[in-house]
Amino acid sequence: MLDYRDVQLQLGGRPVLDGFDLRLEAGERVGILGPSGAGKSSLLKLIAGLLPAQGGQCRSDFRHAVLVFQEPRLLPWCRVGENLEIPLRAIGHGAAAARRLALDWLQRVGLEQYAQAWPGQLSGGMAQRVALARAFAVQPDLLLLDEPFSALDPALRGALTQLCREGLEHTGATLLCVSHHPHELIELVDRCVLLDSGRGRCFGIAAPGDAEARRATANSLQSVLMNLESSPS
Amino acid sequence: MKLQIQGPTSRYWAALGVLLLLLAWQIAAQRLGSLLMATPWQTLQALVQLLGSEEFHQHGLVTLGRIGLGVGLGCTLGSCLGVLAGLDARLRGLLEPLRWLLMAIPPVVVVVLAMLWFGLGSAMVVFISVLMLAPGMYVNTVKGMLLVDRGLIEMAHVYRLGPWQRLRYLYVPALAAPLTAALLIAACGGVRLVVMAEVLGADSGAGFALANARSTFDSAGLYAWTLLLLLLVAGLEFSLLQPLQRYLSRWQVAAHA
Repeated sequence: MLDYRDVQLQLGGRPVLDGFDLRLEAGERVGILGPSGAGKSSLLKLIAGLLPAQGGQCRSDFRHAVLVFQEPRLLPWCRVGENLEIPLRAIGHGAAAARRLALDWLQRVGLEQYAQAWPGQLSGGMAQRVALARAFAVQPDLLLLDEPFSALDPALRGALTQLCREGLEHTGATLLCVSHHPHELIELVDRCVLLDSGRGRCFGIAAPGDAEARRATANSLQSVLMNLESSPS
Repeated sequence: MKLQIQGPTSRYWAALGVLLLLLAWQIAAQRLGSLLMATPWQTLQALVQLLGSEEFHQHGLVTLGRIGLGVGLGCTLGSCLGVLAGLDARLRGLLEPLRWLLMAIPPVVVVVLAMLWFGLGSAMVVFISVLMLAPGMYVNTVKGMLLVDRGLIEMAHVYRLGPWQRLRYLYVPALAAPLTAALLIAACGGVRLVVMAEVLGADSGAGFALANARSTFDSAGLYAWTLLLLLLVAGLEFSLLQPLQRYLSRWQVAAHA
């Protein structure tokens, strides 16, 4: 479980999160929506331990939170397979087990034939699939997605969302996903939190079960988001 | 239009450049006379003679050992301190005055001081090489460390890469380009430094043999030793450092193919 209360986060003296609350139960899939500059990515970095909070209570029972960034962030001088093996070795897998697991996950994302390729030889979509495979391979209990599909074309985004769903089914990881595309986010999560820039207020919006209702929820989220984008902060 | 940077054409031009240098050498030697400047042919004859002599084995091996030790220790010290200073701003600040001092001081002053401290011989030559080569390596390493992609450092944190893994898979490969360039400069500069130190204050080595040839007006011998040192630098660059550079940047070549 993750329990953040009254969290304060500043970057360069500017308040990013101000009295932010978030509660995340194990196995939940939660989306974070918000206008540009609202602090969505900073929130994920805070949870991943890349940024320190300046105040409030940050409690987390998750053992291993893995953040998938907007860019694949693969080591360009290591082959694709090695990019998966290195994190696996870091968490204690032996060389042979790491290689086996790396190939297994590359196979799941349909890129096993690229294990010996260099990341620079992959397209953007392929590289992001490798980044997803790397994230799932280390079996995180909390997966943080920071708009990982934002740079890809819509067709690829759909395929990667599907891959993501399958990975979550397989690992049972809890998900916290940041996006500014409600229609995509709603395909992946059970509920959404709207992060309002500056004020640090959040709103819980339940995502209904059937497709029609999901689309309606996404539409209303989209209009709220557009209002926030257009209103002066 | 395809931009061709390297290939047969550039090699032909390089060969032409060598021929022009040889021609200029031949003309200059003919004008100055063999006492002041040996011709390329005289130098080649002296070189063949030198390669079969006891003097070559005696002095050549000593110089090679000193170059290996001086360049090796200087580069290792400079790059290790550079990695540490790149990770810690406090250490970087602490080392800055020493770095400045060593880069600003004329090498000949260091040679004189080292001769006073160590006397003549290998210790003095190696000491000078280390002291003069380490700062250049240090500066390149620190600059490289500060330019390592922040995104990859964050990725390494998220995936809990340990210090050894970060060094091996992140920092060293990221530093490959500046380090191999610095290594090339250090290796070539190291040869020059060692020979200079030997000329000024050693009782053995190629520099000592050069000084002997100069004092006995053995112009051909002097030029033969010089040519030998040039061949050593060429050997280091073309058979060791350039292949190393190519190996370390193979991922870039493949990505742009």
